[in-house]
Amino acid sequence: MRRQPLLLTKKPIGRLFPTLAPLKKGVVKAEEGEIYDVELSKDLLKANQRLADENKQLLHENGAKAIDIMGAIGSGKTSLIEKLVRVLKDRYRIAVFKGDLTTTIDAELIARHGVETVAITTGKECHLDANLVRKALQKLNLKIINLLLIENVGNLICPAEFPLGSDKRLVVVSVTEGPYMIIKHPFIFMDADVVAINKTDLAKPMGVDVKRLERDVKTINPKAKVVATNCRTGEGIEGVAKALGL
Amino acid sequence: MHEFSITSQIVQNVLAEAEKRGAKKVTEVNLTIGKLTFLGLEQVRFAYEVLTKGTIAEGSRLVIEEQEGFVKCSNCGYQGGFKYEDDPMYHVPVPTLKCPKCGSTVSIASGKECTIRNIKMLVK
Repeated sequence: MRRQPLLLTKKPIGRLFPTLAPLKKGVVKAEEGEIYDVELSKDLLKANQRLADENKQLLHENGAKAIDIMGAIGSGKTSLIEKLVRVLKDRYRIAVFKGDLTTTIDAELIARHGVETVAITTGKECHLDANLVRKALQKLNLKIINLLLIENVGNLICPAEFPLGSDKRLVVVSVTEGPYMIIKHPFIFMDADVVAINKTDLAKPMGVDVKRLERDVKTINPKAKVVATNCRTGEGIEGVAKALGL
Repeated sequence: MHEFSITSQIVQNVLAEAEKRGAKKVTEVNLTIGKLTFLGLEQVRFAYEVLTKGTIAEGSRLVIEEQEGFVKCSNCGYQGGFKYEDDPMYHVPVPTLKCPKCGSTVSIASGKECTIRNIKMLVK
């Protein structure tokens, strides 16, 4: 069915932009005022990119690297982080930023593992941005960590638009999201360095072919490393760490 | 997805620029929006109309130029559009980072911008 067009397009253009016609006259009528044509070339999404670059620099100056962990709601990002923390705890001094709209439930789950955890509650925003990460970085003693795991808000769309300053981006997708999750969201997978295909123990009952999902990732982004994981058993967790260069 | 917050930044920037130059009216704003952003043009226009209400930019013309998504290949030097994968299972062609010429991985060269190119304003 065709989507109802927005009210905006229904209105005649003249009513919407009342100065559309008078504008040209305005240019001609120089006696009323002169017209300024200001070249700006200001990229608003670059503002986030700049902050992200600053975050990255700050982390690097302190000898720390950061991983941005993205994925849909319920894909298993927090579980994967918990498992990663257990595997990496002896090798790295880890801090975790946990993005959520509200509640600190997940942050507390992660903090149980004895790592520095900062909950970033966005309120209503569906993604973390570089500014929120910058604010969270101010809460950390960067001198005592060398690995920062940043769990983004559960979402396969918006986080792709907002780099945070991480060194690597990990996307977690689970078989319970169905067989088309990857091809339906190509852009976030273009940004991914590593993709974890999670909940492989449920692939059979879900009727989802893990190999097919892997192929979909490779089709969109041949460079991305793909690891099958099962956070219940810990299968594939070392593989994720290795793929991330940790 | 973030049309309202991005457009509110656009309007803030436009008004700041206008104030800096002592403009009494903003008549036209030119934007470039990349096709790889998640910004819907209809929503940007709607947000712009709402957000400029009661300001000196109210009723100004918003011109949006769309920027195609282009990639470049560091292996063979290809520059141009995406290679689309058209598997019958996908139903729609899916853009990929595979080089259409040599098959290695390309990087995105354009299509992610959201730029205020220029502003036309009336000054006293």
